[in-house]
Amino acid sequence: MRTIILGIGNPLLGDDGVGIRVAKELRKHVKDPDVEVDETTTGGINLLDQIIGFDKAILVDTIKDKSMRNGEIKRLTLGDLSSYHSFNPHDVGLPEACKLAKRLGETRIPHDITIFGIAVNKMQYEFWEGLSEEISKTVPKTVDMIMSELNHHKNQVEEI
Amino acid sequence: MKAVTIDPITRLEGHGKISVFLDSDGNVDNAYLQIPELRGFERFCQGRRAEDMPQITSRICGVCPVAHHFASTKALDACFHVEPPSAAKKLRELMYMGYVIYDHILHFYFLGGPDFVVGPDAPASQHNILGVIDKAGLDVGREVIKHRAYGQRITAILGGKATHPVCGLPGGVSKGLAKEEVQEIKDMVRSCVDFAKFSLKLFDDVVLKNRDYVDMIKSDPYNLETYNMGLVDAHNKVNFYDGIVRVTDQNAEETLRFSGKDYTDYISEHVEPWSYMKFPYLKKIGWRGLKDGKTSGVYRVGPLGRLNAADGMATSLADKEYKRFYETLGGKPVNSTLAYHWARLIELLYAAERATELINDPDITSKHIRNPVGEPGEGVGVVEAARGTLIHHYEVDKNGLIEKANLIVATTNNAGAITMSVRDAARGMIKKGVVNNGILNRIEMAFRAYDPCFACATHTLPGGMPLELNIYDKNKKIYKTIKNF
Repeated sequence: MRTIILGIGNPLLGDDGVGIRVAKELRKHVKDPDVEVDETTTGGINLLDQIIGFDKAILVDTIKDKSMRNGEIKRLTLGDLSSYHSFNPHDVGLPEACKLAKRLGETRIPHDITIFGIAVNKMQYEFWEGLSEEISKTVPKTVDMIMSELNHHKNQVEEI
Repeated sequence: MKAVTIDPITRLEGHGKISVFLDSDGNVDNAYLQIPELRGFERFCQGRRAEDMPQITSRICGVCPVAHHFASTKALDACFHVEPPSAAKKLRELMYMGYVIYDHILHFYFLGGPDFVVGPDAPASQHNILGVIDKAGLDVGREVIKHRAYGQRITAILGGKATHPVCGLPGGVSKGLAKEEVQEIKDMVRSCVDFAKFSLKLFDDVVLKNRDYVDMIKSDPYNLETYNMGLVDAHNKVNFYDGIVRVTDQNAEETLRFSGKDYTDYISEHVEPWSYMKFPYLKKIGWRGLKDGKTSGVYRVGPLGRLNAADGMATSLADKEYKRFYETLGGKPVNSTLAYHWARLIELLYAAERATELINDPDITSKHIRNPVGEPGEGVGVVEAARGTLIHHYEVDKNGLIEKANLIVATTNNAGAITMSVRDAARGMIKKGVVNNGILNRIEMAFRAYDPCFACATHTLPGGMPLELNIYDKNKKIYKTIKNF
């Protein structure tokens, strides 16, 4: 099963770059040649372009949800989101992009799109590099969650 | 005074907020658009290596990476006192046309199109690209996706990566074109010219043949008589990549003409206490508040601003459309905000035609694509981003490190005009406290036309884009809430 892990965010906007940091860290752990790790600062259709052709996509991104505390990590599927907006305001959300692609007959959309959302409660409007203390703690935790997600899937495939 | 707050803005999912204040009769007293600005960029850049700026600035925003990349590269040309070889300029401009092609297609069909193709009063569930292809057909949808991808592909071939180009260097570009790439681009741009013609025909059939839409375009709430600004070539034709900044007035006559490096002599920025946004205005005319007319220094940029500030398009098909545009809408300048959409399609045709010219130029495969740089200093780079004039200004020390950086981005140049358009639309649409979803969308249409680009970094969950309208009674208690979701 070909899998892509995509860290999403803008590393120039502090905590918004946590997805990118997770991707960099994951590269040290992922050995499976069928798993690709990449980074991006885009969303919507451009994001769809990057995951098309893979069986599974794992996205790592910051999210804002009043019910979550800062630094909380949630595993979500695309269906949990009615819309999913990334850095690019000049675009549609990923669910809308997927719906559109399906409607137009695209068959290479990953059948499994999983999102690891890291809650960042403070809006990142200031240019700075690096992560706050609280958010940097989420990096190893998210890496662990993604690695066990990958192993879980691998085991499932072997059982079949 | 009752306050009406619309937050957030659908499909421009930054965190913009429109506040509409009603008077005691329920009519609109005033309206404000608030957009959070990204802060601290100048400090962030200080001490960085100048040649890193095209990469850093292309990450400011996922919307206009190519525009920032080249405004920055051109500023570096100036900082390092180097003129790129002709082939390098053509490669940059060709890549730029790829960006204009995908950006304009995306805006027309995904963001602006639903208002016209599906209709301004359509329910939110239909008011999107899926609604557009339900109406226009799957084949049209496929063509939209295909040609948008062509634009991306052209920027990727020339820029290394479509989203974060790495090709721009002071004095030139890092990569030339291979023969097989030339053929691929030729095929794509030929198809883009046809698609642009098709899009203009669609606009004709759907919008111009519909009397209600034409009346709406020409109606007062969507009319604004500001100055217009854009880059023009030596013949005063629209140019995205290079040229002189030209400003025309309410009679379409040239008011100002200046080189990018002198922008501080011509543009000042006004600060309002209620907004993080700065409001640029023409220094020589002066700031008279959020007003249009000849005595107010507010100006517009972007597709309509560019067309109004020029004397025509530099390619033949687009120039014909340019003439038809002014004939149809009653002469020059066109002051209707909704005409931005039509102007955008004329520019799409121009970009495809210009890309065709560039790719057929034998010079485009030249190996001479970079000149050596001189001593570092100060420099300004100006390009036309899809949504308007974009200025980068750097001061570089003798070690090649950034001492000062200043940017004026397109949406900032449009800040005054966008705010006025929202206010005027609200005044025209909300009477005696009667507000419904259709009216809200018609207010949004006033700023959507500009294709504004808001700071947007963190994402919302579950991510629905609720448009909520709260109407407060005189005790500031909500007595009515309208949602479009």
